Amino acid sequence: MLDPHPLRTDALVAPAALTRRHDLLAGAMAMVPWLTGIVPFGLVIGVRAAQADIPTFAGWLTGPLLFGGSAQIAVIDLLDAGAAPAIVIGAALAINLRYVLYSAKMAPHWRGMSRWWQAAAASVMVDPSVAVGVAGYERHADERRAHRHYFGGAALLWVAWMTAIAIGATAGASVPEALHLELVIPLFLVGEVAARLTTRAALHAALTAAAVGALGVAVPLHLGPMLAVAAGVAAGLHADGGWHR
Amino acid sequence: MSPFLVVALAGAGSFLLRISMLVVAARTGVPAIVERAATFAVPVSFAGLAAGALATRAADLGLGALPAFVGVAVGIAAVRRTGSARSAILVGMPTIWVLSALTP
Repeated sequence: MLDPHPLRTDALVAPAALTRRHDLLAGAMAMVPWLTGIVPFGLVIGVRAAQADIPTFAGWLTGPLLFGGSAQIAVIDLLDAGAAPAIVIGAALAINLRYVLYSAKMAPHWRGMSRWWQAAAASVMVDPSVAVGVAGYERHADERRAHRHYFGGAALLWVAWMTAIAIGATAGASVPEALHLELVIPLFLVGEVAARLTTRAALHAALTAAAVGALGVAVPLHLGPMLAVAAGVAAGLHADGGWHR
Repeated sequence: MSPFLVVALAGAGSFLLRISMLVVAARTGVPAIVERAATFAVPVSFAGLAAGALATRAADLGLGALPAFVGVAVGIAAVRRTGSARSAILVGMPTIWVLSALTP
């Protein structure tokens, strides 16, 4: 019997499947350096959720629903302190306001994809997945490959993050303090910034954000990161030719 | 209000922030000013978060935070020299371990 699809042989199909797998794996591998700092952070959030005067499951739910360590810590801390719901929600949104810029950054790449696809991609949009994703879009001319790179990294991040929070919440796991793994994240963030300072405007923006971010730790309601982003963007736009260029 | 509801509302709001520009882009295109601002999204967000973490550490530990600051400075120098973001960790963490072991 004749093959109705004579060209569709394993030899021709396999490379496409291999490429897909390779792209997903490459994204996951690019996420691995982040995990060394993120997993201990997740454990700490889990432990904090278990200790706080709220249902432990509510603390764990901050993982899938908020999916951002700083905002999760703020929500758990403020709920534990008995803050008003509006304050808790406002603090979380203030910390996560930078996602608007991430959303704008990804929009040109995700244009044309289905709403469900965009919703799924946006739901795992956070600092590490954006960093890994942007690197993928810079590397691949074929955006389909970059999409897989993004999801490969984001999927590993999601699984690792939820697992770490769950272990922290249930087992109270601890990491040897001597390793100072809590410093992996700042170092990684600094490395990503330093590698991107290719223009005078970017340098102005980053230095301003760093200065405001450092001073902003004294600002109540965890508003420091939001102020740092606003000040950094303003400085960058100003150095880049003004607001109305 | 139930903590579950507060977490759910905070999560829903965060999701809306995440899709905000995707929705705007689909209808009218991303405003030019936002598109320009977005080019600074990663550097300013990461710089602000890293500086905040280091400042918190300095406030908590005083001079005990010195190894972290030296490690970050060495890490930045390594990135600028190699062009690789990962070298910040590869060089910075060992620096922090050695300095932490040497300081009381």
